[in-house]
Amino acid sequence: MGKIDVKNLNIWFTDNHVIKDVSLELESNSVTAFMGPSGCGKTTFLRAINRLNDLIVGSKTTGEIRIDGQDIYDKDVEVFELRRRVGMVFQKPNPFPKSIFDNVAFGPQLHGLDEKEDIKTIVEKSLREAALWEEVKDRLEKSALDLSGGQQQRLCIARALAVNPDVILMDEPCSALDPIATAKIESLMRKLADKYTVVIVTHNMQQAARASDYTVFLYLGKLIESGTTKSVFENPTNELTEKYITGEFG
Amino acid sequence: MKRLIDSGLEQVSSMLIRMGELAQEAVSLSVISYIENSKNHIQVNEISANVSSMVDPIEDTIFEIMVRFQPVASDLRILKSYIKICYDFERFGRYAFDIAQIYEKLGGIKEPAFKQILDEMSENTIKMVKASINALKCHDVEQARNLTGSEEKVDKLYSKYLDTLISSKITKLSTISSLLVVRYLERIADHASYIGESIIYLSTGERSKLR
Repeated sequence: MGKIDVKNLNIWFTDNHVIKDVSLELESNSVTAFMGPSGCGKTTFLRAINRLNDLIVGSKTTGEIRIDGQDIYDKDVEVFELRRRVGMVFQKPNPFPKSIFDNVAFGPQLHGLDEKEDIKTIVEKSLREAALWEEVKDRLEKSALDLSGGQQQRLCIARALAVNPDVILMDEPCSALDPIATAKIESLMRKLADKYTVVIVTHNMQQAARASDYTVFLYLGKLIESGTTKSVFENPTNELTEKYITGEFG
Repeated sequence: MKRLIDSGLEQVSSMLIRMGELAQEAVSLSVISYIENSKNHIQVNEISANVSSMVDPIEDTIFEIMVRFQPVASDLRILKSYIKICYDFERFGRYAFDIAQIYEKLGGIKEPAFKQILDEMSENTIKMVKASINALKCHDVEQARNLTGSEEKVDKLYSKYLDTLISSKITKLSTISSLLVVRYLERIADHASYIGESIIYLSTGERSKLR
């Protein structure tokens, strides 16, 4: 059993069947990358893992997604708690228009923590885990919007870590960043996998090859191939995967 | 539509095939000269040096393709295999050079019992070298797999040669000389098999042993 077990997942947005009968297991303490051409359902799949698709009018989900054995679509599941356990980092850094400190403190406070010292400890720990502490420790009260794009993205990662999640979802987290900031986020993904289960969506195949342990290839909403990143990139078993990663289509 | 990487792959493939053809020429010339007792070491040395000089340009082209295009899947397997095959061809050239040197220092073979085995071994080895290059030209998996049978034949002839040598009462310079030559023939046959293994890998991803 994986950390996340997906069985016969189907997702529709009104009449549009976006995810088609996908089943797979995602391993804990690893980075899994989802790749595929635009519109293949990567982001929809990712957003299903913390039920963000529920917010879209007309969406319908069938099948199962189990995290640590629990079906997250079960009617008894508290979605607010699920989204604490499954953090999300988006394509564009989206810090709140608040101080660096408040951005990270926001989640724990929302979850009921109000001890000042405890919050300070969590903020420092999260910023350290996100490899940002050394760069911001002397200006925690400054606006998060003054940080560079790469720093803002790491701040968003720190914000996700502050509520003590198990799983971190990242939707093309480097697409708006320069190569240096990208390299820092990729190193961070690897480090985070020691403690968390990291799932990323990426358009950049080389990023999947560099930073992930497992790679999943989706095409037109179907799971075409999944396996270790080494096997998918060196010796793909499906002709469609071969054609996509060698640039014959996509 | 042709991909950008394709012209690079075609370029390295034609360089490698040219290298293989030269290596084949060096092997054939050195072995035939040895058997027929004719001096050709200067020509063999020249061809062998040409083969060696092709290693760096081929490796440089492969590394440039890797840096520029970051190949994956069959593209990556092709380049990995080409690096290995380039080394195998370089060895063909080097062994051809060594055979020519042996003839120069120790002379050729005279004893009919040894010569007969050597003739057969040479014929098979040269055939394998040609087959390995043909397999490379079209990435022909079937031809690559067929190298197994020939390699077994060369190995058997090598053992037969050693047995004949052991049972012989006279050991002469020429027997020492031919012993060294059969050893190289055996090595060349091994490298032809390695090329077959590379062809199978680059075409199918399967790692097989043809030895």
